[in-house]
Amino acid sequence: MNDQEKKYHERFMREAIKMAELALASDETPVGCVFVKDGEIIGRGMNDTNRSLNGTRHAEFIALAQILAEHPITVLKKTDLYVTVEPCVMCASALRQYGIRAVYFGCWNERFGGTGGVLTVHEDPGVDKPYPVVGGIFREEAIMMLRKFYVQENEKGEHNHLSLAPEPRQKKTRELKTDILPLDLDTLKT
Amino acid sequence: MNTPQPGQHLVSSDPVKPQELTVVPQRGHLVALKTKDELRAALETIDVYVIEVPATYAGAILNIVKNAIPDLKTVNLQHLRRVVQLEFLPEHLQKKFSSSTQAWGRLSTTGDAIGEQNEGGKRPIELRYLLIAPTSLISSAELRECLMQNHPFLNSEISPHVHTIPVPALAPTSAEQAAKWTQEYWSISYKNTNPYGPHPSLLARAAADIESHAGTWLALARTAGEETKAQDLGEEIGCVIIEKTGNEKKILAVAGDARWCSMDGTPVPHKQGPGNVMAHAVMRAIGMVGRKRLRVADTNPGPESDSGGLNVASVNVYCDTPLTPIESDFFTDNIAPGGYLCVDLDIYVTHEPCVMCSMAILHSRFKRCVFGSRMPLTGGLTAEMPKSQEDGQENSVDAVSGLGYGIFWRPSELNWKFLAWEWESESEEGGALSVDLSIQA
Repeated sequence: MNDQEKKYHERFMREAIKMAELALASDETPVGCVFVKDGEIIGRGMNDTNRSLNGTRHAEFIALAQILAEHPITVLKKTDLYVTVEPCVMCASALRQYGIRAVYFGCWNERFGGTGGVLTVHEDPGVDKPYPVVGGIFREEAIMMLRKFYVQENEKGEHNHLSLAPEPRQKKTRELKTDILPLDLDTLKT
Repeated sequence: MNTPQPGQHLVSSDPVKPQELTVVPQRGHLVALKTKDELRAALETIDVYVIEVPATYAGAILNIVKNAIPDLKTVNLQHLRRVVQLEFLPEHLQKKFSSSTQAWGRLSTTGDAIGEQNEGGKRPIELRYLLIAPTSLISSAELRECLMQNHPFLNSEISPHVHTIPVPALAPTSAEQAAKWTQEYWSISYKNTNPYGPHPSLLARAAADIESHAGTWLALARTAGEETKAQDLGEEIGCVIIEKTGNEKKILAVAGDARWCSMDGTPVPHKQGPGNVMAHAVMRAIGMVGRKRLRVADTNPGPESDSGGLNVASVNVYCDTPLTPIESDFFTDNIAPGGYLCVDLDIYVTHEPCVMCSMAILHSRFKRCVFGSRMPLTGGLTAEMPKSQEDGQENSVDAVSGLGYGIFWRPSELNWKFLAWEWESESEEGGALSVDLSIQA
């Protein structure tokens, strides 16, 4: 990836991070995304599982619903996704079925990742066309937001939220760690 | 007052009495899915060394081996009996070993221990077959050398005969499997547990709990699929979500596939491509449960537009409100407030859910899942692997096996697990609905 390409991708990942910040402010797991076609953002999404009481309302689905309300499904074949956390297995499969062109993400998702974190749904044998993925764009920022969320939830004493991990492992107050260790939250498995 | 009217599918009361539904229950039974690890356990073998020794030496030799091969304690051999008599070995091993048995009788003149054993040669020496260690831990030359330095081989004319045989690498997951392996490989011990899947007794209890009505719910799911298909809104795939507490059963959601439903609720003009993937039956049914929970919740969660500038039209993309009469019948407020996602609920689907829907079921934390027909090209629940991927076509999948995901039970990776069965139909007409195998259910 040359500098110019890097700048291009980082520009959209910054937009995805803004959506994740919005999620954090609404007590949702901070995952945000934008879908980009021809250099234009055609859809934005943030995680919405807690508000909707629906565990499938991930950022990608929110944005997809918005896009498909205005565009034909075929638009996705010329569209790239920028998402702060690696798509989960469900979203990875949905994106492949819809025919997404490419996926760019921030940090890996060791719990449910579908594009390398746990499974490789984007490229496994299957009836739908595989798609390429690039991970690690603003990875530290994505991880920091997830950490802020866990600390924030812990301070509120709420444990019933859908996060990447089902339940906090311990109830004692956590402190916000600011050091990003290479192998801490995500591990490069691809 | 609960007499079904023509064209009405139900019943207004809860718990639902299946005989009040107008559907005819499908006849059949539940078959538990194999987990990914179970299938791996069933296939994986390792090579191990086996030697023949007089019974009195068995314990001593195993101790010597334990000390000589420190890595032995890192290998789990608990499912394999270490000391076995000839008659308890598989037939082919009995033949192999008895044809190469060694002249232990001659030992009686040189070794003390054998003297005790053999009592002057009146009684034949009892022999045992010892499973020594995996071949990966020690070379057979090294092993032989080690054995030669100890009784009964020390200063003896008899040199150890080291056989190499394959044995199952992992523990059996059922008594039947243990018995089968004992006939095929080596004497296996079974501890009535299943380290690679749900415990057998838990699975049996759960199946007994739901089997009597599974055919009814699958018939209802089928009707849901038939109705959306009849309206040209989707494929003939349907789904039902049940809350079962004790003997009480509530139908919380019924949904047919609606991938061909356009934003205004009419069928799309051209059925090309995948259609609206988010409108698969499972996704719609899960969405309906979420909507019900919001309706009965004490607090107003705020409008949908809070979520990232979402406009109202996009709500239709999810298709999680009723489209057909049977879906409307069950879209009532028959849900208790305070519940969370689909915790403790069961889901019944006419077809094996695609990878997206399988993971949606896992994310929603369902308790149990039953599906009608396997979808070997697209299904996410079954764990059977494609038979061959070496045919040069990287993206081809074998029509008779599966994708190998086994999403229902991968606890070390996916952090949630549920029980899953396929339905084995016992009636001709209760067979599969007419969907193409390449379809994502």
